[in-house]
Amino acid sequence: MNQLDVMIAAHDLRRSFGNKLAVDRLSLTVRRGEIVGLLGPNGAGKTTTIRLLTGQLAPSAGSATVAGCDLVNDRARLKTQIGVVFEDQNLYERLSVWHNLDFSCRLYGLASSRIDEVLDLVGLRARARDSVRIFSTGMKQRLLIARALLHRPAVLFLDEPSRGLDPIAARHVRQTIAQLCQAGTTVLLTTHLMEEAEQLCQRVAFIVDGRIVADDAPRALQLAHGKRELAVTVDADQHAHDYVGGPGATTVHTLHIDDPADQARLTHWMAQGQVRAIHSREATLEEVFIAIAGVRLAEEQ
Amino acid sequence: MQARTILAIARKDALDILLNTTTLVTLLSPIFLAVLFIVLNQLTFSTMTSIVIYNPDDSRLEQIVADVFGKASITHVATPNDVAAAFGPDGARINTPYALGLIVPPSLDATLRAGGQPQLTLYLNGDSVKEPQRVLLVGALTDYAHSIANPQPPIKLGIVAINPPKASNVIENIGVFLVMVNLVGSFFVGAGFVASLLVEEKERKTLRMLMVSPASWADVIVGKLLVGLGYQLLLAAAILTIQGGFVGDIPLVLLFVLLGCSMAIALGLLAGSLLQTGSAVGAFVGVIGFVFLVPAILANPFNQGTDGNPVVQVMHAVPTYYLADGTLNAMLKQGTLGGVALDIGVVLGCTLAFVAAAAWSLRRQTTVAGMI
Repeated sequence: MNQLDVMIAAHDLRRSFGNKLAVDRLSLTVRRGEIVGLLGPNGAGKTTTIRLLTGQLAPSAGSATVAGCDLVNDRARLKTQIGVVFEDQNLYERLSVWHNLDFSCRLYGLASSRIDEVLDLVGLRARARDSVRIFSTGMKQRLLIARALLHRPAVLFLDEPSRGLDPIAARHVRQTIAQLCQAGTTVLLTTHLMEEAEQLCQRVAFIVDGRIVADDAPRALQLAHGKRELAVTVDADQHAHDYVGGPGATTVHTLHIDDPADQARLTHWMAQGQVRAIHSREATLEEVFIAIAGVRLAEEQ
Repeated sequence: MQARTILAIARKDALDILLNTTTLVTLLSPIFLAVLFIVLNQLTFSTMTSIVIYNPDDSRLEQIVADVFGKASITHVATPNDVAAAFGPDGARINTPYALGLIVPPSLDATLRAGGQPQLTLYLNGDSVKEPQRVLLVGALTDYAHSIANPQPPIKLGIVAINPPKASNVIENIGVFLVMVNLVGSFFVGAGFVASLLVEEKERKTLRMLMVSPASWADVIVGKLLVGLGYQLLLAAAILTIQGGFVGDIPLVLLFVLLGCSMAIALGLLAGSLLQTGSAVGAFVGVIGFVFLVPAILANPFNQGTDGNPVVQVMHAVPTYYLADGTLNAMLKQGTLGGVALDIGVVLGCTLAFVAAAAWSLRRQTTVAGMI
């Protein structure tokens, strides 16, 4: 891999708070233009990882570079290379959209003409003079993304970007993130929404108890760790002791493709001409996560 | 530290305050109070000045004397003895309805033009006529004589003063006292303001955004201090202007204003570094309201002779007492060198202590600013 293409390179990062180890020997590489998702339940260490990689927290051990900037020794330059969308919607609510962005422009020494460009990107230009306090959660989230993009960061960090959004607003935010990726921005996002990760991310890293337990493309993880199943609809066996149906009654059986016994059953039904329908069903990313981590995400949601 | 980011933060805070009606009204309340004090002072203490005059030739001098006072009612008498009888002998302590008496000799203007030095007699009631007014009166009479013929010396002026003023005049001092109370009271508003500027950033989690921007923690603090100090100085200037507080030893008054502003800002900075929520800042403002106002009220000029009072003794342990005492003495121009030095020393020492404690607290928070 070309070193210039590596935008995030973390090696054995650790961070503890007292006796609690929040991030434990975390290593991660993200290439230019990739969208990588950090997936895990609440308290897994996703946000702490983001804070470490954005220089908000100093690592207890390990090292990392983001856009070529060392987290500890090159913080000032790091700040100009990254954009961060926080988990909390931390906007100045009394100020207008324009004034919020103008403030950030002044912090970064940018011309205010950049404001219209980012507002166009997130579809909020017509609302530039409105006070933020009247905005919906989804609009605020888009404004947060606009703010993070003002200075054209090389790497964008998104902490739970769809948190609290309705499905339509969440889709709008995901579309914006996908556009950024196409424009060459590297994105590292945290989420506990598997659907979001499947739709957006080229790679996902499962994080549990501060450690990355799997890191690959969603499809590859599904193939490697998910159980492949078939839902087979066959004519009901009239001689079976639990038979309850009348003429034409069917039964649905779930078969595991990789199980030899299930393979034999399917062959038998096919030979008897009993099969009415076959549906394949692949494991969801959530099921893959459970298979790998032994933890359910749904409980956290 | 970068001037660009500091100014950006200060500008944003100023704009944010202007858009926050509740905070704006709170911040301007000392100015409303100043206006209220002025109105009350006018209603309570503004009185008609009664003048008795013997003026056989209707000299214009009568009007010039009346103009020295805002509102004057003039009683004309037939003989000089009537004026003298209304006041009694020099130094007497008698009850008279008149604040001022004047005997104008016949043919005053003609005598002046002829190069003569006519004898004017001025009767002053010390209960009503203050030293500044006495000076103005003498100046007005002299100027009048000069305007007629410019003789040297212009006139013979005899002054009979009754009811000599006491060392401390309640009516005169109460206006100054109210200026001091409002001024010292405004300092706690400023302290709460600075604390809230810092705490709001923590509470709204916007501090995290600032920490990943080019702004440093020091930039954030200096930006807030700039806004706080600017507000506090403007507020103090407004109060002094509205209530007429630029009196007494003005350089010393300004020094105490600067010390008070610095003390308030330092205290606000310390509170802002320690507190995490807006409600905590509210409680802080409530407590320091007492800490600033109670000593200011007890440092009043009518408390002379009550130094043995245990409450006053306790107040001597509160630094803001010295701020109030020093400011009042500067306005009344009655402080001793030792007293002023003690007041300045205590206020300055406490300000430095607050700054040191805030710096320690903020330095500790620098390492965890991102967690806030």
